[in-house]
Amino acid sequence: MPDIILSNVQKSYGGSGPNAVSDLNLHIGNGEFMCLLGPSGCGKTTTLRMIAGLENLTDGEIRIGEQVIDSPAQGKFVGPEKRGMGLVFQSYALWPHLTIERNIDFGLRLRKLPKPEREARVAKVMAALGIEKYRGRYPSQLSGGQQQRVALARMLAVNPGVLLLDEPLSNLDARLRLEMRAELKRIHAEFHTTIIFVTHDQWEAMTLATSIAVMNEGTLQQIGSPNDIYERPANRFVAEFVGSPPINVIEMGKGHALDRAAQDWLRPRLGDAARVGSVGLRPEALQLASSEAGVPAGSFAHPATVTGILPTGGSWIIELNVEGRVIFLTTTSCPTLTGGEAVWLYARPTAIHAFDGDGQRLAGADEALARAEGGVQIVRKA
Amino acid sequence: MALADQDITGPVSGRARLRYRLRLMLREPTTLIGILMAALFLYLIVVPILSILTDAASVQFGDERRTGAELGSFTLYYLRRAFTSPVAYGLFWLPLLNTLKVGFGAIAISVVVGGILAWLIARTDMFGRRWFATALIVPYMLPAWTFALAWTTLFKNRTIGGQPGWLESMGFSPPDWLAYGQFPITIILALHYTPFVILLFGSALRRFDSQLEDSARILGASSRTVAWQVILPLMRPALMSAVVLIFAKCLGEFGVPYVLGLPVKFDVLATSLYRSIGSRQTGVAGVLAGAIMLIGMIAILVDAYLAREARRFVTVGSKGSMNRASRLNRLRLPATGFASTIFVISVCLPILTLALSTVMRRPGSFALSNFTLDFWIGQDLPTVAMRTGILLSPDLWQAAWNTIWIVGIASVCSGVLGILTGYVVVRTSSRPLSVFMRQVTFMPYLVPGIAFAAAYLSLFAVARGPVPALYGTTMILILALMADQMPYASRAGISAMMQLGKDPEEAAQVVGAGWLRRMTSVVIPIQKGSLVTGVLLPFISGIKGLSLFVILAVPATDVLTTFSLRLVDYNYTQAANAVVLIIAGIAYGGTLLAQKLTRTNLAEGLGS
Repeated sequence: MPDIILSNVQKSYGGSGPNAVSDLNLHIGNGEFMCLLGPSGCGKTTTLRMIAGLENLTDGEIRIGEQVIDSPAQGKFVGPEKRGMGLVFQSYALWPHLTIERNIDFGLRLRKLPKPEREARVAKVMAALGIEKYRGRYPSQLSGGQQQRVALARMLAVNPGVLLLDEPLSNLDARLRLEMRAELKRIHAEFHTTIIFVTHDQWEAMTLATSIAVMNEGTLQQIGSPNDIYERPANRFVAEFVGSPPINVIEMGKGHALDRAAQDWLRPRLGDAARVGSVGLRPEALQLASSEAGVPAGSFAHPATVTGILPTGGSWIIELNVEGRVIFLTTTSCPTLTGGEAVWLYARPTAIHAFDGDGQRLAGADEALARAEGGVQIVRKA
Repeated sequence: MALADQDITGPVSGRARLRYRLRLMLREPTTLIGILMAALFLYLIVVPILSILTDAASVQFGDERRTGAELGSFTLYYLRRAFTSPVAYGLFWLPLLNTLKVGFGAIAISVVVGGILAWLIARTDMFGRRWFATALIVPYMLPAWTFALAWTTLFKNRTIGGQPGWLESMGFSPPDWLAYGQFPITIILALHYTPFVILLFGSALRRFDSQLEDSARILGASSRTVAWQVILPLMRPALMSAVVLIFAKCLGEFGVPYVLGLPVKFDVLATSLYRSIGSRQTGVAGVLAGAIMLIGMIAILVDAYLAREARRFVTVGSKGSMNRASRLNRLRLPATGFASTIFVISVCLPILTLALSTVMRRPGSFALSNFTLDFWIGQDLPTVAMRTGILLSPDLWQAAWNTIWIVGIASVCSGVLGILTGYVVVRTSSRPLSVFMRQVTFMPYLVPGIAFAAAYLSLFAVARGPVPALYGTTMILILALMADQMPYASRAGISAMMQLGKDPEEAAQVVGAGWLRRMTSVVIPIQKGSLVTGVLLPFISGIKGLSLFVILAVPATDVLTTFSLRLVDYNYTQAANAVVLIIAGIAYGGTLLAQKLTRTNLAEGLGS
């Protein structure tokens, strides 16, 4: 299937409320596994439904390759039944009055395929998803995970060019979710289809997607590979939304000891002209030293008090207090700390995310901090 | 340059946008069906109401001289006549006062009795509470005037002619206040609407979280304090809602005051309206119908307001709610006795009385020789009319057949229209259409049946445009019944479609199914059950309905209810009671069938 291109897509539901989606540009390449990630109400499901044709646009256009499938300005709209896509609903939306086999067969009958071919295709997808033994049952007789597979099979049977998935895993328990994630990856590889996947779960997005589009309040925040999103968040929203426990943010100019220290540390490295609005430190990028002497040279460091140690099984979350501010740190090595202990916390220069006053990633800061990191290493060698 | 560009593309893109909207609208027939149905409802619901309101303010046929104006011109004559003239007291104010007296009396009794019963059933360890939960609802399944006929069978005195009541024939002469008028009407309406309180109040009590009670107890509150300061304040919205709904129902109640009020000229608004129509005072009838509608509307709006208020109590039905039965201990037996007494008074006694009365020649005489099956299956009886038992009377079978096919067609139509309304409301892309459909189908709910019937009479009594005069035809009955049932049918349809959601249909759409295919292969098969209920429930309420028929039916279109009323008028007590028993039996059996088919409790259907 050719690429799917969304240009300046707008969606409003009328009234004076804000746009559900505004000025969205997306390019989804053939064979991509694209994940739309964002908090609830951010417009990700609306976007998916617009691609499917279940919602129409207020403005902008959607194309499949060269063919315009939805454009108010050109007066064009191709109905969902003619787009050749597959959509798996969050609720699965299996037809309760049809058996599993008939559910899967439904789309094939509509295409008026000869019976042997229909049977072959139904058998093939049922085998691929391991649901052959339920063929005669009704949806209400299946568990959530099985229904999920049927919903997928029903769409895969018609061989869609694009498979759209609307939070398909959110109704499953943790173990099944893990299984289905692996399953989805396998299906993506086996059926060579483009997949667009909507979720609010960052781990789902990180583990599955080849690229992630982070949305908030109807606008696209950042689009990139999972690593990009995590390591170089384009703005504070992305930085704070992705990652758990969430990134520690130090607001500048609040007069707190920590932000004064951060400013003092940043000024020589970024130059006086840099307007830093806030600084983000991921919990796992923070480290602890028992005294100032233990802090590697060139790091950003500050004294702190340990106020809590929370084991999460295999790793630990350490809660620190820096003059009244709470900072979280995670570590995978068993800490030998006790509550109330005075420590030093520090971060390497490249672990620091600097944002400007509007919350956008500060231009040039990454390069400057990388240079600082390099500088430290030279010092060390010497 | 930029300006010139806009000048060229502006209108072009504007036209394209219009084309886009049009294409979206016409892509699916949903909106088109919606518009057609909206027009139908406009004609069947809105226009009759407007028509009767116009009647109230324009000169009617035959009144030209009295009003000194031309036929059809604007006049305040009828308003003055109903509200300020010397006859206004008897025409409007006294019936209004009587309606209020009867209504509030019935409300007071049913709230106290129903409230206690609801609590006993929902929250205590009373014996047989599960059985009582169903048994005490039975009075609502029976037509209210079943009780009125039972009452006259027992208490009728020598004030009016015909067969005397049992007490009279046994030698006790019941006073008029006991036999007719306000007292029996109040009691009967109270008994009939007590199930309403049990259902509404009971379901609120069941949802009530015991933890709220426990918290108060732990803080040291006595059980009396808990009842007055925790439970009752939280229950108030449900209680108020029951009060308002009972009031609205009493307002349109016709059968009971007709049977029990007439002998002592105790008029309520519904009977006064009936009389105005009977004496061809169309203008005054319009005013009275308008007044009833207005009061009904105010009541429902108050209810809507209360329902909104109730939403503030978010804790009710919260997560982790639990409901624990209180122990009655020593009161367990007396409580069970109380519930049994109410059951005996409101179900056993009236049914038994009616049943016995149909097999007794002389009322109140329990000698074996007095019993006969003649009134059911007798032949060549020595009476003027009704020379055969009721079951052998062709009139009964004609009326029964009329009932079944008139009510049947109306119910099937309203059931189908209800599902379609639900579909359009949930699925159309046009919000105004959806809102209009929701509201217009709800309108008859605000209008008591008798006023609605009067409205139909006003619109369809004469030929208007291409529509011929429908009075006297079965068509007018079917249309009126259909419109009258739309609030229930559309609500059932909307909630069924809401419950179904868009997803199953959209899933079919995505795999390539067009509209027709989705309707036939997905929507209708899934909604089969609610379609059956949507037909059956209106059918039951239509069979026991009286107020619509009493105004719109003529002898040729007699249904069971009007047939029995006619028998009452002719003083064929046994036959009338027998017909009422048949109706009650059908209504009761139908309700049970509906419950069984839908595996639901009546409580849900009534709450709406």
